[in-house]
Amino acid sequence: MNSEELRRLKEIDLRVQEIAKEEGLLVREVLFEIVPAQRVLEGQAYWFPTNFSHWSFGRDYEKQRTLYEHTGQGIPYEQVWDFDPPRAFLVETNPFVLNVMVLAHVYGHVDFFSGSKYRQRFRSVMDVAEEARQAAKRFAEYEERFGKEEVENLIDSAMSIMWHQHPDPFHEEEEEEVARERIFALERAKLERDKSVQSEFAQPISKEEITKREKRLAMLAVATPPEPVYDLLYYIANHSGRIRRPWQKDVLLTIRNQVRALAPNRRIKMLNEGWATYWHVRIMRRLFAEGLLSAKEHEIYNIYHSGVAAQAHNNFNVYRTGLALYEYVEERWNKGQFGPEYEQSEDPYKRLHWDTGAMKGREKIFEMRTSWSDRMAVEALFTDDFIHEQGLYSYTQDEDPKTGKLVWVVEDDDPKKIRDMLKDTFATYQIPIIFVQNGNARSQHELLLGHTPTGFKLDPEYRNKTLEKLYHLWGKTVSVRTVEKGKYVIFSYDGKEHKPSNSK
Amino acid sequence: MAIIVSEPTASKGPKDAKRHRDKQREAIKKRLPEILSDESIITRKKGKLVRIPIKAIDIPHFRPERKSSGSSGRGRAGNEPGEDMLETEVDIEELIELMLEDLGLPRLEEKNVRTLAVELGWELKGTQKTGPWVLLDKRRTTNKGIERFWSYLRGLMATTGKDEMACYRALHETQGIFKDALELLENGTVSDQSQEMTPFPVVESQDLRYHKLEKSVEFQSQAVIIAMMDVSGSMDDIKKYLARSSLFWLVEFLRRLYKRVEVRFITHHVTASAVDEDAFFRTVESGGTMCASAFALANSMVESDYPPAEWNIYAWLFSDGDDFEPEATVQEMKKLMSKANMVGYGEIRPDEHRSGEADYESLLWTELKEKFSIAAYEDPKSLSSLEGGERFPFLGVKIRKREDILPALKIFLKKDRWQK
Repeated sequence: MNSEELRRLKEIDLRVQEIAKEEGLLVREVLFEIVPAQRVLEGQAYWFPTNFSHWSFGRDYEKQRTLYEHTGQGIPYEQVWDFDPPRAFLVETNPFVLNVMVLAHVYGHVDFFSGSKYRQRFRSVMDVAEEARQAAKRFAEYEERFGKEEVENLIDSAMSIMWHQHPDPFHEEEEEEVARERIFALERAKLERDKSVQSEFAQPISKEEITKREKRLAMLAVATPPEPVYDLLYYIANHSGRIRRPWQKDVLLTIRNQVRALAPNRRIKMLNEGWATYWHVRIMRRLFAEGLLSAKEHEIYNIYHSGVAAQAHNNFNVYRTGLALYEYVEERWNKGQFGPEYEQSEDPYKRLHWDTGAMKGREKIFEMRTSWSDRMAVEALFTDDFIHEQGLYSYTQDEDPKTGKLVWVVEDDDPKKIRDMLKDTFATYQIPIIFVQNGNARSQHELLLGHTPTGFKLDPEYRNKTLEKLYHLWGKTVSVRTVEKGKYVIFSYDGKEHKPSNSK
Repeated sequence: MAIIVSEPTASKGPKDAKRHRDKQREAIKKRLPEILSDESIITRKKGKLVRIPIKAIDIPHFRPERKSSGSSGRGRAGNEPGEDMLETEVDIEELIELMLEDLGLPRLEEKNVRTLAVELGWELKGTQKTGPWVLLDKRRTTNKGIERFWSYLRGLMATTGKDEMACYRALHETQGIFKDALELLENGTVSDQSQEMTPFPVVESQDLRYHKLEKSVEFQSQAVIIAMMDVSGSMDDIKKYLARSSLFWLVEFLRRLYKRVEVRFITHHVTASAVDEDAFFRTVESGGTMCASAFALANSMVESDYPPAEWNIYAWLFSDGDDFEPEATVQEMKKLMSKANMVGYGEIRPDEHRSGEADYESLLWTELKEKFSIAAYEDPKSLSSLEGGERFPFLGVKIRKREDILPALKIFLKKDRWQK
């Protein structure tokens, strides 16, 4: 970027801020850094501007780089950190107008960061990024002291279960003894109450029931964990016989904390990216109209914008669908196409030309950005119309009988199924629900995990390999109890071989 | 200022990416037998890149089982990515390197490569403290001189207790002579008025450094590979393909080992003829089989063109073994063995059953086993092979299918063979 372009960009930055304020966005001063593409590629691959070394980051970096250098796809066009002030990268070699688009896009994100109630519960990204920067130094030191391979193996193992955290991303893990006391007191109180029922509507519980529940209380006094723990890394770091040294614990908890800070993002990804895209479209439109950008630049912008909002058959483009959703909602609410009267109307002609002049569109989309999640949006707004309009179907590749080439064909276009599929995805992100059931299984300090079935079997090859990684972390037999064909099955690995066994 | 041009920072990506590539290489290594038998590698003209699809290296994690692909057999549901396959490009050189790790050829190199010393003249190599003036190494000498300047300066400061600038002036005035400078300082008669310190080299005779000259000798090695193939009527397409693949890799290996490798091609049925590479792999002929004719031609080639004192000689014959005159073949082979580093015989028998079942042996195999072999291996788990002793550097391997190519190469190129 030459100095003339830099001057222009600064001028446009000021104008964009004015426009954003006029449109009602929450504007904060953003620190834009002009960097080589490699910095952005690394930021994408490493989760944070700086992070510890690992081959999986290297793999993602190289994948991005190859795409970028050889196909021109995957242009590192956007990276913004919710710091104070927010920081964003602009790639020095990107076309000027693309950098302007990114700049406008970033102001959309910054508004979302400040405006979303959900995001306000996040840990400060700045703190987490700083922790990552510190971790990079510590991990390098560990490599030096304990051996590269040793550290790498531990990171590999930790990463293999890192996404298994509490379903509530803001859940704080209790100390085991604190949890035990709480549950114990609760159960005790319930038992006492049930024993001394004095009501004409209920009988005191039977003797057998009392003994049974007292036995359970006795068990509770020694069980570990006293109740299922979903945060696998947290439990293992604190209870494994293999993770004894401080550095090992540090590696596990660092990875756990990073993932924990990142995970909540997924719940609002579509709304967030859609919001930023919605605003860059509008801001760019005004910049062109005001003559701050040329017609020639408009051509280049069109190419990049259509790249961002391109339809992909094999994945869900959050930029495209998010943008379309906001525009769809805005139009409907402007025309008053909401409320019981509209919903219940069955006349397609009337519905199509429904316009009460309500002009509630902006208000509605700001409400979405403030207090909605992706899953809510799918449930409430992914109507049949919207799904058909957007061609949000499940696609499969098949051979064209005429040309013999592979083409995408629609596999399923039933809006209800598509909605269910998306709701599912936005609820669990295809991550099986796994929890620590018993950390002292068979009284041998073995680890028994539970799997709550949500409609699929665990992939056997991956399951076995993951058990091997868990064994590396636990040091004793590890098992996972799941349900297959309506029956409980336990798969275990004892350091030598894999065994399936049926259980009660 | 809200827009800044950022300073470059140390980059981590390339280093971690390399670690990932190393992991990929390990994955490729596991698939070598399959990759090696891929015909497209061999048929491609000299472009040296091979595209190999390998699985993306992934961190294992609990995940939903993939639905088995639809009726079309290659279906791929829209919301579920298929198995991530990456196509990576690998240099043939790199592939061979990977194989070498397995084969340990470098040891073979130490033991078996005969070398020719060629004098290339003189070259500068290192430094020494004495030598003719023309060879003075000015840079190193100056460095030594600067070291001495500083040690004198510190010495003066320590002895006289005066500050650095005063000592510098004295040293400057006396042009680096320590004794005189000390005297000036002690008498307080320094007249030099320098305002700034510019270190200058103070060179004494023991600081002089000279370039060292050495004779430059290069060890060159050369080898000839005599590739012989049976093209008689019984050698069908599959047999020729197996022969051709094996030879391709043998030649590539030896090309890495020796600076100069010549490859000569001989085809034979009842009579043998020397042909070029192209014809070697394409010839379709018919008729009977006399392997002796090929070895006879090889012998005369060696005699006229490749004196064993200067050449490493390797010869391979690939045939299905239905030789009309095995005794004559053995005679010619013996002659060749007296000069060659190694004579190999690959018997191509795609139609033969695994040993253990009642199978018949070819006439040539039987004869070779009787005459040369000190050890015959019939391990049902690996390939059948024959090994000659020190007197007869002979190896015979039976190749039955594509996947046998890599194991066969391993037998032909085993590192510790014939060491004693």
